Amino acid sequence: MCLNKYINIAIMNQNDLTAKESFSIIEKAISSIKTSYKESAQIFLLWGWILSLAWFTQFIILKILQNKDYDQIRFYSIGNWIVLILIGFIFQFFIIRKINKEKKVSSYLEDYLKSLWMVVGVSFCVAIFIGIKMEIALLPIILLIAGIGTTTTGLLIRFRPLVIGGATFFIFSIAATFVSGEYLNLLVGAAIICGHLVPGYLLKSAKE
Amino acid sequence: MYKDLDPLLHSQLRLAIISMLVVADKVEFTYIKEQTNAASGNISIQVKNLEDAGYIEVEKTFKNKYPKTMLSITKKGRKAFEAYINDLKKYISPK
Repeated sequence: MCLNKYINIAIMNQNDLTAKESFSIIEKAISSIKTSYKESAQIFLLWGWILSLAWFTQFIILKILQNKDYDQIRFYSIGNWIVLILIGFIFQFFIIRKINKEKKVSSYLEDYLKSLWMVVGVSFCVAIFIGIKMEIALLPIILLIAGIGTTTTGLLIRFRPLVIGGATFFIFSIAATFVSGEYLNLLVGAAIICGHLVPGYLLKSAKE
Repeated sequence: MYKDLDPLLHSQLRLAIISMLVVADKVEFTYIKEQTNAASGNISIQVKNLEDAGYIEVEKTFKNKYPKTMLSITKKGRKAFEAYINDLKKYISPK
């Protein structure tokens, strides 16, 4: 029996609420709270497209400008990243605003996920700093952090394709230690397709 | 028989509202209305009672120029709900 029918019957017997009826109301009220994580797919797809595009264009820039001077390569590379990341944040702002407007129930898990990805974002920045400062290969670490965020998200929302997608980041992280030069950009692009885009589309099409 | 139970929670609609808020961070007023099928006026009265007791918080914003009311449980409300459950258990399996 659904909650509204149960409450209607219970209201008729206003003063006769038994302990069993109370438990039934609690149980039905709790199960009526359905949280959908399908909207998270939009964020995964957005950043999946933005980042894979950024890595593939980075590869093209390095290929086309391979004989040009370092400053020119650096100018186009940084420009490529700034433009695409900026586009990503603008789209994210409007997507989140739309999600929040339509949302009727917000769960505690959403707060945990928000905190998780904030920590992941800070970890990316710290890793980039360490990589530059110590002149060490950055991409395996970046892929590892992406894997942690994605796998944990998949486990929290109990969506297996996202867990598998996160696990592929770990594999790509190890693979990145065997690849060098501009082809690393292709590898990272492929990692984002497997780790974010594919699970993102599966989440989007998943049943409630 | 049920004199030990918190009278504020031992009511169908208020119990349903607080139970929903226990598992969600925030729930919109209209969602409660959809799920319980109770009249808006009735829900408003029960929400006011729970708010006055300090069990829930009411946040009023706007959605597409229409008022949007979000409800959330307070620490006091959560404690009261836990106490209510423990008291209920005594009636289900009295020692």
